Amino acid sequence: MSAPRPNPLLSDRDVDFQLHEVQAVSRLFSLPDFADHSRDTVSLLLESTRRFARAELYPTYRAMDEAPPVFEHGRVRVHPALRALYAGMVDLGLLTATRPPEVGGQHLPLTVHAVASAYLMAGNLSAYGYLGLTLGAAHLLEVFGSPWVRDTFMTRLYRGEWTGTMALTEPQAGSSLADVKTRATPAPDGSWRIQGSKIFISGGDQDFTENVVHLTLARIEGAEGGTRGISLFAVPSRRPEGDALVPNDVSVAGVIHKIGWRGLPSLVLNYGEAGDCRGWLVGQPGRGLACMFQMMNEARIMVGLNGVATASVAYHEALAYARERPQGRPAWAKDASRPQSPIIEHADVRRMLLRQKAIVEGGLSLLLSASYQADLAGHAPDAATRERASRLLDLLTPIAKTFPAEKGFESNALALQIHGGYGYSSEYSPESWLRDQKLNSIHEGTTGIQGLDLLGRKVIAGEGAALRAFQEEVDATVERARAAGVEAAWCDALRGALDEAATLTMELAARGLAGEVEAMLRHSADFLELFSVLAVAWRWLDQAAAAREGLKRGADGQDFYEGKLAAAQYWFAVEVPRVALLAKLCRTAEDSYARMRPEWF
Amino acid sequence: MKILVTAKRVEDPESKIKVKPDGSGIVQEGLKYKINPFDEIGVEEGLRLAAKHGGEVVVVSIGTKDVQEQLRHALAMGATRAVWVNHAGALDQLGIAALLQKVVEKEKPDLVVLGKQSIDDDQNQVGQYLAEFLGWGQATFASKVESLESEAEKNKVPAVALTADGKAVRVVREVDNGLATLEVQLPAVVTTDLRLNQPRYASLPGIMKAKSKPIEELTPEKLGVDVTPRIQVLKMSAPPARKAGIKVPDVATLVEKLHNEAKVV
Repeated sequence: MSAPRPNPLLSDRDVDFQLHEVQAVSRLFSLPDFADHSRDTVSLLLESTRRFARAELYPTYRAMDEAPPVFEHGRVRVHPALRALYAGMVDLGLLTATRPPEVGGQHLPLTVHAVASAYLMAGNLSAYGYLGLTLGAAHLLEVFGSPWVRDTFMTRLYRGEWTGTMALTEPQAGSSLADVKTRATPAPDGSWRIQGSKIFISGGDQDFTENVVHLTLARIEGAEGGTRGISLFAVPSRRPEGDALVPNDVSVAGVIHKIGWRGLPSLVLNYGEAGDCRGWLVGQPGRGLACMFQMMNEARIMVGLNGVATASVAYHEALAYARERPQGRPAWAKDASRPQSPIIEHADVRRMLLRQKAIVEGGLSLLLSASYQADLAGHAPDAATRERASRLLDLLTPIAKTFPAEKGFESNALALQIHGGYGYSSEYSPESWLRDQKLNSIHEGTTGIQGLDLLGRKVIAGEGAALRAFQEEVDATVERARAAGVEAAWCDALRGALDEAATLTMELAARGLAGEVEAMLRHSADFLELFSVLAVAWRWLDQAAAAREGLKRGADGQDFYEGKLAAAQYWFAVEVPRVALLAKLCRTAEDSYARMRPEWF
Repeated sequence: MKILVTAKRVEDPESKIKVKPDGSGIVQEGLKYKINPFDEIGVEEGLRLAAKHGGEVVVVSIGTKDVQEQLRHALAMGATRAVWVNHAGALDQLGIAALLQKVVEKEKPDLVVLGKQSIDDDQNQVGQYLAEFLGWGQATFASKVESLESEAEKNKVPAVALTADGKAVRVVREVDNGLATLEVQLPAVVTTDLRLNQPRYASLPGIMKAKSKPIEELTPEKLGVDVTPRIQVLKMSAPPARKAGIKVPDVATLVEKLHNEAKVV
């Protein structure tokens, strides 16, 4: 047997398939903003990014997991490899890629940026974390910052000279941002004095750039309580004074010992302990949360990609292991004198691999669909298309964030399972990816929050306009699948699940309008899961259609297409039937935990 | 300083390469292609020399329209412009060297840097033929300069060093028993070994800029070269698969087999 191939992180063939055969990303190149791009520029960029991820990021992953950041003399020292890795990612152009030329970007469609980023995430999630946070922070400043704030902070973030963070959470205000207490008082020079404390600030300090800019939520003194009293400030760790950078009274109070993402420090930050912390207002006073939600929605898509990428790298590890690891013999040939079979020959191992494939590739397809709508929402020339895409993106965001996080965790557990006893040791990597993955159902809005967001807000938005747009998309896919000769039973099952979801949504909305809000939202987690199964079934039907089209063309790679059809079959056989059960739980407002009293536990 | 570099299109070694059943070549369907890794190192060395001493890097490739992909790759890395010799059909190393000779005579570079071999046929001949045809000095198998101290330094500085008077280059070469240093008068031909440098990753800004860089089209006819191959490929076949080993019961049997069957002791 030849030497094992290095972990590919993602399948290049699948990425090409998803971009060009499923999504037809080239349609985006006809939009004026994207006109400079072509399949050739995309393939060159992906080539560079994959090589960088495989040759530079992946080899440092284990070392970073084993040597987390150190807190010493008030500063955080991160893994020394990060300096070159961060510079390398900036040099690739991925920090500004999707931004307009005015700020140094190339207007790359987010759909392409998403797959390129997925390689980096799969290679080394923590290292990508710095880039993702900086990108989000700089984009916020680009949209809402004053000219001075843009010149001072945004340009340096986009050039990769400084990094950024999002500083929302406080010990008493995590999911409940209405309770943010950090205070801002006006200073004579037009800046604001900031005082307070933040927790779980990822990348809040590091020693590979000279400064970090924290996009911080704080309450202007005298502002009303609740979310409307919250404003957004750019607060640097070191502030510019003349030509120099001086300490800005932002201190690290501690490093949190995390079980994953161990290359990226999560910190407790104290602002203004000496009364000398300055911040600069971003956007209107009292509009902080609205501004922050721009970053948050991008971050949620990014978290979904993190989930896909982390499940993907483990899936490829498990796949290679299953092909090489000899253990046991098929049930019909128990002759001990025969050599043992690779475990991939056991049906149950293939079950676990196919489930991972269905989750990873279904998840990637879902993220690319969401990114595609984001591209249309931001760049389509006509307002109607932009609005429709924007509604669809809003609807898909909680699903695209949660499905890869929750099912990705299951997928990562299966990758570990395939490694058997070795998987349960830290000598092998699947356990570390499992630890990394867990964060994705927690940060940027927990799964519970996403369920409430989907059912309480997104699915009923615009008097059902988002849901109608989703139905149109699904209908178009069903039509494509029927024309391509995809199994009629799958097409019917998807239509059936969609009708079930639409009817259920109307019923629950009516319940809400009748004032029974608790009963409407009681099963929001199940409602989110139902929509996830449905949305991924939509993505698998689209992939099955593209696979059938490929087979009909006689395109190269019959094995690849057959694998796609088997994974689609799996999703329709195993997952789609669950829609009925989940719908029943929502519809009947099944009350086991609703009537459970704290003292009964 | 004007530097000419090459960018041969080769099969990506990560693709599955199969020989056609009739032995006439390899199955091309479904293969991915890339720039020959040795040439890519040559492009990188050219770019570093140009960055240090000023000047331009011109990249050449020979083949059908497809080789424009490899030219774009080199342009995205930072080469100034490209020359494409449009030719379909077989070429041997003599034909390639003859075409490159004409391109060199037209472009008049100070230095030609090319891969010591390409990873498809592993011939390792074009650089040497080219120097001979041109009547120029050559320094083959250029490797990294070990004396540069830090990794970061090695990653920036060209290992092929221009002498103080700017009339020659000093090249550290990999040879069988270690490293040898040669000084060769310009103009000259240098071929690259794998350890010379680590090529940069093409960046998105570089890729976008490359779109507007010119690719000049030439043909063997225009260059006045007869490229009829003098070498014919009769048959290709995969190397025979290794036979499974056997277990021997004791050392005596092993020695007996080594002596009588393998005839090695």
